[in-house]
Amino acid sequence: MQRNLRTVAMAAAVVSALALAGCASATPDTASGGCEPSDGPVDLTFTSWVPGMDQVVALWNEKNPDIQVEFQTGPNGNSGTYQNFFNQIKAGNAPDVGQVEYDALPSFRVQDGLENIAGCGDILAAGDQFVDWTWSQVTFGEDNAVYAIPQDSGPTAMYYRADLFEAAGIPVPTTWAEYADAAAKIKALGSYITNFPKTDVNWFAGMVWQNNGQWFENNGEDWTVDLTSPESLEVADYWQGLLDRGEVSTLASFSDEWNASFNTGQQWTWISAVWGASTIKSGAPDTSGKWAVAQMPQWNAGDDAAGNWGGSSSAVLKGSKHPYEAAQFALWLNTDPDALEMANELGGLYPASKDGANLPVFTAGQEFYGGQKIYDVFAEASAQVIPNFVWGPTMTQTYTDVSDGFGAALGGSGTLADALATGTEKTIAALKAQSIPVAE
Amino acid sequence: MIGAFPMTVTSVRAPRHGLGVSAAPRKRLSHRKALTIFIGPFLLLYLLFYVIPIGYAIYQSFLTVERVGTFGPATTVFGGFTQYIAVFQASDFWASVLRVLAFGAVQVPVMLGLALLFALLLDSPLLKGKKFFRLAFFAPYAVPGVIAAIMWGFLYSPSLSPFSAVTQNIPFLGADLVLWSIANIVTWVYVGYNMLIIYSALLAIPTEIYEAARIDGASNWAIAWQIKIPLVTPALILTAVFSIIGTLQLLAEPQTLRSFSTAINSTFTPNLAVYTTASVPNYSLAAAFSVVLALSTFVLSFVFLKVTQRRAFA
Repeated sequence: MQRNLRTVAMAAAVVSALALAGCASATPDTASGGCEPSDGPVDLTFTSWVPGMDQVVALWNEKNPDIQVEFQTGPNGNSGTYQNFFNQIKAGNAPDVGQVEYDALPSFRVQDGLENIAGCGDILAAGDQFVDWTWSQVTFGEDNAVYAIPQDSGPTAMYYRADLFEAAGIPVPTTWAEYADAAAKIKALGSYITNFPKTDVNWFAGMVWQNNGQWFENNGEDWTVDLTSPESLEVADYWQGLLDRGEVSTLASFSDEWNASFNTGQQWTWISAVWGASTIKSGAPDTSGKWAVAQMPQWNAGDDAAGNWGGSSSAVLKGSKHPYEAAQFALWLNTDPDALEMANELGGLYPASKDGANLPVFTAGQEFYGGQKIYDVFAEASAQVIPNFVWGPTMTQTYTDVSDGFGAALGGSGTLADALATGTEKTIAALKAQSIPVAE
Repeated sequence: MIGAFPMTVTSVRAPRHGLGVSAAPRKRLSHRKALTIFIGPFLLLYLLFYVIPIGYAIYQSFLTVERVGTFGPATTVFGGFTQYIAVFQASDFWASVLRVLAFGAVQVPVMLGLALLFALLLDSPLLKGKKFFRLAFFAPYAVPGVIAAIMWGFLYSPSLSPFSAVTQNIPFLGADLVLWSIANIVTWVYVGYNMLIIYSALLAIPTEIYEAARIDGASNWAIAWQIKIPLVTPALILTAVFSIIGTLQLLAEPQTLRSFSTAINSTFTPNLAVYTTASVPNYSLAAAFSVVLALSTFVLSFVFLKVTQRRAFA
């Protein structure tokens, strides 16, 4: 009897293996087959982690009874949503529209996860409505290609505790050298000038971006990877110095501990993107009215360079049955004045749409920031963002490996610069493992 | 278990079809039917959620990606042992295996020692309020691993902890201690579970043995040391094997603590390394990691059983 059972089990295993092999060897669907409106009512799904997006979606559903969108939320992209997307794309049940940050678009394209929606109605013509560098991110600089609709951008500036700087008589730093001086003085007062975010390697990339550095280059045929350019190393050495002197904290960013340290005045500044405005507001409610925003510190006095941290697009993911409607929804989401206003109010998004940046909400003073018109600062920063920063095709992996290296540096083994060197090596290995051509 | 099962069925049925030559073929048929009914549901679920996923992972681990140009369409092709070669070159993965082995070498004996101690206390005639303690020791196991990790994350955290006077001076979440902080969480969760297995084994010991021992003048201590512990050794080995498997599969606790600590990297434990690799996404390499990890777990458990078997089941 036992032998019989074993035979049955073996047979079943063989059958299932054959069935799986059959599934897997089916040729990938290469014909995109045009982009036409569907007949009759359409149901779409949309995944995003921006708070309040559910209410923006409710507004769309109210206005468009025939195209109903179901909203799903998830963790921040690199904290899990991207992995869900990759798995869903592989399984063929990805949401129709998904939030994808600019730095992740190449990864998704390499995994064949994005629909080209250039042919979906007047999408191609919508390019003029968006800030130039964001549009070149979603088109990869190609003609007749649109892989996502720009949603928001993340020009960086410096959030600082105006009250604390004034009370301590420390001038608000305008250069990185002054920032380091201030850091030492603040340390002497028992606080930190800021937190070094080990896991936010995209933040670090933003700092390199400000310093006019690049990590990747793609000549159309193969990739060049170098995280250790002089500009990049200058940034790494600078922060290594602050870390060595214990002048910055090393909390897990966006954790409760991190929020608490902002809320209790342990952190005096945060070099962060425009969307950070709502992060501080919700994480440090006790500090209302005490913050202000200034342009971020410069490497050379008198410059006005800004970096960028984050910023997302709404991408129509591979396998959507209604790419036309999905593209229309994505376009509305990121250009409609009401939608943009809600997305800012509830989610702190700073629109990539040119008109969006002129909405009344972006010209008003902000109570939390002592009445300052903080978006004027970010509008100025946005204009200074160097437009041609290139992201690699396995950014999640690059971030993870650099972050591991940063973690080791914080734990006392190695330096940030070592982490960048290891990150370069591992990224090249990861590209080769995926058969992505790399120039040596 | 499966071998013993048809015999029971036969013996129940025997009187009903006791006579007549024609009974023989019908007997075989209904025998099969009964077998299908009893084994069927198990076999189906076993196939769906065990055999097929494992088969798919093994299949996946032999694939590799090929593409033309930077954004060219990717095709998966048979790659032989390409991924396995990559596994054996992945120093991070092997470092994580060594890390959990060190973890297991310390944590498993401590946990099982405590479990045995608690089980013996529950079984001893000296302890009052046994029902309460049995439940109290077991209660942490009812807390899901992730919730336990979040709770301990707050307890360890330097400024949010209710014991911040201690946690501000001892970096429980720092690079040096975080592994042992995790060990503490795992111990806290699983001591009660292992205690219950050992306690059940203690309850199964016939009381005549104790009576005989007492007549021979054995103290409670001698009974525990010379009768109880040797007799529950099979249960101890069982819990040890479970613990070895659990250690190599450590994921939820370190993964959850990553939002509290900067000291846990993406390849802290083997399963975390698999998770990270899958999220690149590099499914084939992740599958190869999984297969190697499963085989290592199997070998380790098997070796442990072989080494202890002679002593325990002699």
